[in-house]
This record gives sequence, C-alpha cells and structure tokens, in this order.
Amino acid sequence: MSDPLDALEKSIGTLRRAIRDAAAAGDTERAGELRMQLRRAERAWDALVDAGEPAAAPPRQAPQAAPAARGSQLPAREHVHRALMLLGVPAAPKLIVDVHEAFFPGELSTSKLSSLRRDEERSYRSSPGARPYYLCPALAHDLLTPVRALITISTWTLEQRVIGPLSPRVDFLSGAIRIAKAVRTSAESAADGASPEALRLLWRFAVNIPDAMPKNASGHEGALDAQQVIGAAQAELDVHTETDRANRAAAARRARKSLSDDEQLFGAPLRGVTHLRSARA
Amino acid sequence: MREPVDDRLAALRGSAKRLDYNARSLAALENNPRCTLRALLDASGSDKAAIATHVGHPPAFGQSSFAITRGNAFEAMVKANGCAELLRVLRETLELTLPEVGYEDLNDVGGDGRSKERHERTEEVLLRAARGEGDGTLFDHPMLCLQIGGHKAYLEPDLVAFRIDGRFHVVEIKSFPIIDEQAAPAQVRAATTQASAYIIALRDLLGRAGIGEEAVSDTIVLVAPKDFTNRPTGAFVDARKQVAALTRQLSRIERVGDLVDLLPEDLTFDLARDSEDRPRRPAEELNEALDQVLVTYRPDCLNHCEMAFYCRSRARAEASLDVLGPVVRDQFGGIDTTTMVMGLARGELTPSEDQMEMAAALRHAARLRAELEDLGGAA
Repeated sequence: MSDPLDALEKSIGTLRRAIRDAAAAGDTERAGELRMQLRRAERAWDALVDAGEPAAAPPRQAPQAAPAARGSQLPAREHVHRALMLLGVPAAPKLIVDVHEAFFPGELSTSKLSSLRRDEERSYRSSPGARPYYLCPALAHDLLTPVRALITISTWTLEQRVIGPLSPRVDFLSGAIRIAKAVRTSAESAADGASPEALRLLWRFAVNIPDAMPKNASGHEGALDAQQVIGAAQAELDVHTETDRANRAAAARRARKSLSDDEQLFGAPLRGVTHLRSARA
Repeated sequence: MREPVDDRLAALRGSAKRLDYNARSLAALENNPRCTLRALLDASGSDKAAIATHVGHPPAFGQSSFAITRGNAFEAMVKANGCAELLRVLRETLELTLPEVGYEDLNDVGGDGRSKERHERTEEVLLRAARGEGDGTLFDHPMLCLQIGGHKAYLEPDLVAFRIDGRFHVVEIKSFPIIDEQAAPAQVRAATTQASAYIIALRDLLGRAGIGEEAVSDTIVLVAPKDFTNRPTGAFVDARKQVAALTRQLSRIERVGDLVDLLPEDLTFDLARDSEDRPRRPAEELNEALDQVLVTYRPDCLNHCEMAFYCRSRARAEASLDVLGPVVRDQFGGIDTTTMVMGLARGELTPSEDQMEMAAALRHAARLRAELEDLGGAA
C-alpha cells in the first residue's frame, strides 16, 4: 500500500467511522477535532487527484499554515497521531512505528519521526494553535523538562503527558491492553484475523507481563489469547495505578501553576532545573 | 608531597591535554597491575594510542563500531517500553516484587548531558532511594564519580537496580550470549572488572553520605542474550575478588610517586605537537624515553592496552619469556630470556646455583625431544 491516494482513502474511511463513534458517544469535542482532520484529508485527496500524479506525495496544507516543505510531512504526522491514539499513552518512536506497521497501512520510519518532532515545536511557536493537535514530548514529573524520546499528543491532559517513576510500566501495561483489544477487534471483524505483525507485537508485550502467556498441559507456550493478556496486564496495573496517578496529578498541578502554555506542551527550559532544585533543598 | 608528584606527572605528559581515567583504563589496572609503563601513562593522563602510533606500533584494535552498535542496540531493546524485558529478567533473578517498577532516567538532566550536572542529579536521586524515599527501583545510566590520584573520573554503569531490602545492585548489560548458562570467561571477567569499578564508585557516593558499603551488593547482575536468541536472560556474578583487587590498585595509585622517583629527572613522553597537531618529536627520542621505563608484557595485554604492540616488540627484541605468556613464564622462575633457556637446555651455559634444578629439567626435556625427533626421522 504505497499509493498515497489509497492510503488517504483508507484514512478518510477510518476517520468517518471514528466521527460516527464519537458522535454516538456524545463526545462533541473529539468529533469536532476528527472532522477537522477529515476535512484536511479530503483536501489532500482533492489536491492529489487534481495534480494527477499520485507519486508526488505532498498534499496541500491547511490554508493558514505556510510552506509546502512542511506539508510533505503531513501524512507522517497523521500516521503518528493515529498510532498514538490507538496506544493511548506516551510512546517511543520505535513503538509508534511498530504499532503503525501492525495496524495501519502506509510508510512510517523512526528517522522521519525525529525530524517531525523538531518541526512540531517550530510550527507551534510560529503560530500557536494553528493546528488541531501537536506532537510533543512527554514531561518529566520532577523537573517538568521534556522527556527524551517519548511522544505524546497535545490534546491529551497534562496528567497523561507527565511521566512519573512508575509511569513507564503503567504505560507499558495500558498500551498492552489497548493493543490486545485492537487485536481482538480485528480478529473479530476481518476475515483473515489480525495481521502477523499485530500478533507479534502483542506477543512481545505479553512475554513481559506475568501470567499473560497461555500455558498448556505440558507447560509450553500455546497460542496467544488477547483476553488473557488484558486480564494479566490489568492485574499488574491495579498494583501501580493509584501511586502513579497521584504522582502524575501532583506533577500536573505543579506544571499548570509554574509553566506557561507552550512550556506545558514542550517542557520547561533547562534554566528551571537549578531553580527547582534549590527550591526543594 | 602531592604537589611535586603532580608536577612530575604533568611533565611526563608534556603539552598534551590530560586524559582522565575511565572504566576501561580502570579495568586495566586490575588486569596487569605490575606494569610500570601503563601505570605511569595512565596516572599522567597521557594519550597512549598517540604515543604508540608515533613509535610505530599503532594499536591495531579499538572498539569495533559493529560491536558498539550491536551492544547499544541490545541495550536499547532490553530497556525499551519501560524496561519491559529487563523487569522480567530482574523479577526472575533479583526477585523484584510486582510494585518495584519505578524507573529514573539519569541519561541527562532535562536535556543537559554534562557529566557534572548528571553526577549531581545521580547523587541526589540515589541518596533519596537509599533513605527509602521515592519509588525508584531502576536507575538508568547513573553518572558516578571517583577521585583517582587527585583527579575526577566519571563512570557510567548501564543500570543500577535497587531492591526493597535496601541494597543496590550494579546491572551490566552485555551483548555476548549466555549459552546453556555459560558465557565466555574472558568476556565475563572483563564485564565484572568494569562493574567492580562501578561498585567502588557507588559505595564511595553513599559512603560520603554516611551510608555503609553493605548497601551495595558485591554481586553484579549480568544481563545478556540467552542461547542463540536475542532475548535477554540474567545471571549473578560474584565480583568480590575483583572489587578487592581494584580497591587495592586504586590505593596504590596514590603511591605513584614511588614509581616517579625511580625515573630520570628529565624524562617525558611529550609528543611536542605543532600547531597542526603533528608530533614534532623524533620517534627515536620518544622510543628511548619509553625504553627507560619497565614494562610487564603479557599476551592478554593485546586485548586491552594501546601500548601492547610496542611492549610485545620490545619483549621480542629482548628475547623475553613474557612473549610466551604467564603460564610458560612461571615455569621458569628466575630465568628471563629464551636465549638463556635454550643455552641451559643445550648445556652451552653453566647454570648458577639456583638455576641447577631448572637446568637439569631443561636438559632432560631437550634429550627427550631429541629422541623423539630421531624416532620421527627413522619412521
């Protein structure tokens, strides 16, 4: 699936379904945001058809954002957003690419992701709020500085975007549950079941969660059961959730009090570090 | 006392920039503690690779870029997704309980990767954990610091794990495989030596805050690929002996002054680089300077010391038994060179009193060999 037109049509379809779901659930905010994405995808589709050369990927940008160079990264951006929405937690580029390959069509590479991230902050600073969402780094719970290599979406709450000491594990387990659910859904809906990539991804999560791997009579590993993974992950999650939530909530409160709007998205600059430390000492 | 020694060491190094100790040069202390040249070059912070190259014995090894990439990729895999693989391994080996999953990233301080800042932050975080505050269990790339001979050396373990019963464990992540619960002994030894430097540095850090050294376990956790797969497994390695050996060597560094005193006043290993960084000093002159210092060559120096090829050629030129390795060398107590061994065996040299026994054994061996050769010739 390398043809950008095919990819766009697929994502337009996905977006329409998502809007219907959001509307049915009464989530107007989310539906509005999705509609915006849909409109943009449709514009890109129109532009591609008009241009008549599907190989030249860069679809037209939203009117208010400027140069065409940035527009060429629009599809990758959408890919990342989609993968992150599936995971529902901050994730490293590699995991985002893995999730993308397991569940969505189109090309996405980690190298593309790193240039994308720099671009996001620059775009935000030049015209804040011009885009419906931004890809931004997670924030460290104590220093509120950006966390290396964890990507989040600006529309998530601060509590979701802050990383406390327990958060990497909590996010791993929550991610495992979301992936297991996605695998189950695609197994039920698609004729040939979940893709081998999706099963492999789920397996990689499951082997590192206690009791998530099925054991048959001889004690060997049997076929993977999405429901069992969900149960096992939830069981360990219950151990950590409360502490983690308290940590994250406290950090988020601090961030709201001490950081400006753009710092709440892209992290406190380093000058704050010494200041915070002396305040604590 | 301290001052003049530092001056002498600075003079040995000459105009070049001082190189600090690192985990590799510390490990070498434990590998070949008797080598005077190595001790002096390291203590003075000289660039061994540049010196060896200038005298015509460039270090033919180095760290292979493939090995480094492989090592880094394995470490990244082990630590990916909130240390998922690592947690599984540590739950098996260290028996971490379910709630012990706290993770502190000490790779940088809010984007600042400078050693000093990272060390301060490491100190703060680890002390907090040692006092039982916070949820930290896994500490990713803490930056430790050791004072060696009056100079700071920054050391960076792969990971330190903190167990709820109050002990820190140094975790070394290596990409050589553990096959059927066995790993290559030389590799394990190198990893353990490196880890013992971390143990000492970690104890030093806690010790300064009044926490006893029993807070750091002297057993390290080695995490490496299992069998022929890429999945990590863990094993305990006892590092007690190496920690003790390295501690002793470190205390000896303080006495490097004794070694310096044995050297001629004007000795220097300065390359006298010009403005374009080309060494101006004649190679022969540098060679002469090096020749004045005792070396203790061992074949396994080739694995870890930049000067090894120089030392080997020197040992060969002197027909020293060192070339054959400690196993052979130790057989010939009191005899230093191959020429002497051969002379005694052929009966061309008259043995001194304490060489009598050895000479008899050698002549016996020579006779046996001659007989075998005759047999071989007849067949």
